[in-house]
Amino acid sequence: MNHNEFDVIIIGGGITGAGTQRDCAMRGLRTLLIERSDIATGATGRNHGLLHSGARYAVNDPESAEECIKENRILRRIAAHCIEETDGLFITLPEDDLGYQQTFVDACRKAGIRAEIIDPDLARRLEPSINPELIGVVRVPDGSVDPFRLCAANMLDAKLHGGQVRLHTEVTGFIREGDTIRGVHTRNKVTGEEEDFYAPVTVNACGIWGSPIADLAGVHIGMYPAKGALLVFAHRVNNLVINRCRKPSNADILVPGDTVCIIGTTSTRIPFEECDNVAVTPDEVTLLITEGAKMAPSLSSTRILRAYAGVRPLVSADNDPTGRNISRGIVCLDHETRDGLSGLVTITGGKLMTYRLMAEIATDTVCRKLGIDKQCETATTPLPGSGEQSYESVAQKIWENPSMAQKAAAARMGTSASRILTDNRLDERLVCECEEVSVSEVNDAIERLDASTLTDLRRRTRIGMGTCQGGFCACRAAGLLAKASGCIEKEREGLAHFLQERWKGNYPIGWGDTLREAEYTQWVYKHVLGI
Amino acid sequence: MKFNTLIIGGGLAGLVSGISLQKAGHSTAIVSGGQNALHFFSGTFESLEEAPERLATLLTEAGIRTHYQKGVRLMPLGTFRPAALSLEDISLFPTPKFGKRVLIVNFNGYHDFFSSFLAGGLEKEGMTCRIQQLKLSELEWLEQSPSEMRSVQIARIMDRMWEVVVQEVRVLLKDEDTVILPQVFGLQDTSVPGRIRQGIPAQVIFAGTLPPSVPGLRTQLLLKRRYELLGGTYLAGDEATGAHVHDGVVHSVVTKNLDTHFLEAENFILASGGFFSKGLVSNPFQISEPVFGLDVEQTDDRSGWYHPDFAQDQPYLSFGVKTDAALHAIQNGKPMKNLYAAGSILGGTHPELGTAAGLAIRSAFAAVDQILSR
Repeated sequence: MNHNEFDVIIIGGGITGAGTQRDCAMRGLRTLLIERSDIATGATGRNHGLLHSGARYAVNDPESAEECIKENRILRRIAAHCIEETDGLFITLPEDDLGYQQTFVDACRKAGIRAEIIDPDLARRLEPSINPELIGVVRVPDGSVDPFRLCAANMLDAKLHGGQVRLHTEVTGFIREGDTIRGVHTRNKVTGEEEDFYAPVTVNACGIWGSPIADLAGVHIGMYPAKGALLVFAHRVNNLVINRCRKPSNADILVPGDTVCIIGTTSTRIPFEECDNVAVTPDEVTLLITEGAKMAPSLSSTRILRAYAGVRPLVSADNDPTGRNISRGIVCLDHETRDGLSGLVTITGGKLMTYRLMAEIATDTVCRKLGIDKQCETATTPLPGSGEQSYESVAQKIWENPSMAQKAAAARMGTSASRILTDNRLDERLVCECEEVSVSEVNDAIERLDASTLTDLRRRTRIGMGTCQGGFCACRAAGLLAKASGCIEKEREGLAHFLQERWKGNYPIGWGDTLREAEYTQWVYKHVLGI
Repeated sequence: MKFNTLIIGGGLAGLVSGISLQKAGHSTAIVSGGQNALHFFSGTFESLEEAPERLATLLTEAGIRTHYQKGVRLMPLGTFRPAALSLEDISLFPTPKFGKRVLIVNFNGYHDFFSSFLAGGLEKEGMTCRIQQLKLSELEWLEQSPSEMRSVQIARIMDRMWEVVVQEVRVLLKDEDTVILPQVFGLQDTSVPGRIRQGIPAQVIFAGTLPPSVPGLRTQLLLKRRYELLGGTYLAGDEATGAHVHDGVVHSVVTKNLDTHFLEAENFILASGGFFSKGLVSNPFQISEPVFGLDVEQTDDRSGWYHPDFAQDQPYLSFGVKTDAALHAIQNGKPMKNLYAAGSILGGTHPELGTAAGLAIRSAFAAVDQILSR
């Protein structure tokens, strides 16, 4: 068997692609995942990081709500180190209709979601950041999930099952014989190297970019990009997820995650050309702050770290020629039955919460095509790193007397943190002081998690995500990358690119301490370090 | 407390003003918040080609060694920048190719000095480089904590231990004509960089580290010491919070620590810095000056504050308090009679004064001259 032949090729390194690769690999298939950039660069890494209970969908979309609560329970079991079991509150403010609360609770219960009306006084004690003027509260099993970690863990498990991953590699075309897709042409975006890969089935798992990929294969999928803008605050003001108990609208979810909290989102249709470079507008920033402060008043005086936006892949229903009718939920297209083109499957729609189910559906389709009869086991097999429930017990087992930094590493890596156990005290040196990331954790991400740029490192370790936004840690981490790669010019460009990427999320909210930090970073990199 | 002149801001502009006024027989005080731009000083006096006579004298009397030569300097990430007037630690070259074979020496486990980037930059200029790590038992206690190995901590030890480095480098040195060391020498003892150069039989270049800048801190210490020797009152760790102003004349300034003991003076110099130093503050709608509420040059709305490209000049950095030609700060459209603005709080409102260190020094001298001629 040739080294570039596989059973299945997966295009897209978001959570759907990574999850599909894991599922395929666990069912014994030889898999290759191709991603044009890095893991979780699309919608996967650009959302709230909300572990939905499904409550948000209960009234309007009971099917999604049921999927969510099912997957919510599964993720708590298989991805313990990627999630936080915070619980969530759906609050009714004086301006909202309290009558909606009962409709909401009934719908939740019907979907199998624990929804408990609690006394506003109890809610104010449980979550002191909450708007004290609230008139009604429902508690649901929401939580938070780190999508970068979840994506990396899926990909790592796929690799442990023999899967191969090509990051920063772009699919430039399909290898087609008559009405059959036999494989893909690719080009490495760093080295420029072109390579062909072959497989009887290719899975298109590219989110909104699934549409242009389908175009490459000569089939059409009607998709609409919908931008959602979010803000990250520099402090974790809330410990429970806070939602508005009303019909889903703009800026009505506040999610705590790691050291920060995130408010969002908006929904704006944008043209396809803007998908690769979505910017947050001043109006969106104002809307998010104003609406956010209604849920947690202290947000109006909390430093904002950055603004960012993701693009939801909305798929138009196949049976509607106008394209106006949007399919909610998961869309799995077998292009053989749909378009007469065999060897290609598209999995799209859905949401972060239902990635595992999407992967299962896609993998079932792949297996059916390959004539393989093997059950899906992803719902019961924990991801690497998820062997323990609490990061504190993980840290305790690895280090006798863990430091704050070691606990932080255990929270990020779960039981995999044992990989960064080191005899060399110098490797415990902190590269990133805001998020307490050590030299050995950075080196682990370079060696084992395919990180080759600063931005890749950020997604795997949280480097540059803290209050300094890379001002201090970026050049240290770049030094470690330079040592690993030996290619100084690439790392210098990478450093400039990283600073630009951080600035992109800083200037839309560039005032107060953010502007102070920006002035410092400008001065230090341009005039002191000489980038 | 009453002074001839009260200076708000203890950075380069504030200290240069204070020293000049004390020397001219004025009684002055400086209110200093603590960190200032000298902590991030590159060692080169940007936008000053050479030292005007009075600056040369001022620096020499403070014990600050400088030199100037039009040329280039080596930056910490291995690039070269044009430079002229610089601290003595900073090597100046006519062209980037300053040697053939270079030995780059770093301390084991120190990540704020960029050996690989330096080597990459020098190799591009046709030099060959060898990187060596120095493992010193003297630095071992810094290894105890994951965040202790930083420039200032190393510099404190190096004030005592620099001779060990000379010995070790002499052992490491083979056929190299140049040695590059991190800029962590001479925090207290200004003679150390020169003595290291004498002790090593090759050209020695000190390359910068991540801030705090050791030469910058030393410059700050020496200027402050000189200022206090001249009888100036340096109020460290305090912050001006407001002022009493009548009819365009400032009578006194209120500070955080002194509470109701207002600082009175005939003249005031506002040298409180840019955004980082909180000389200028901002909210989503405007940029303002917090002590006097001075008029600030700026665009009407926030969208004009930034360039989306990080590498481009950022408009907000050119914003600053408005003044008349004599540097009288302007409040509600009217120049204040006894308040002068100096340093980076001016932003780019006076392009003829230059930027950064050049702006600090030129505007400080200009404000001093105004006060002395009153």
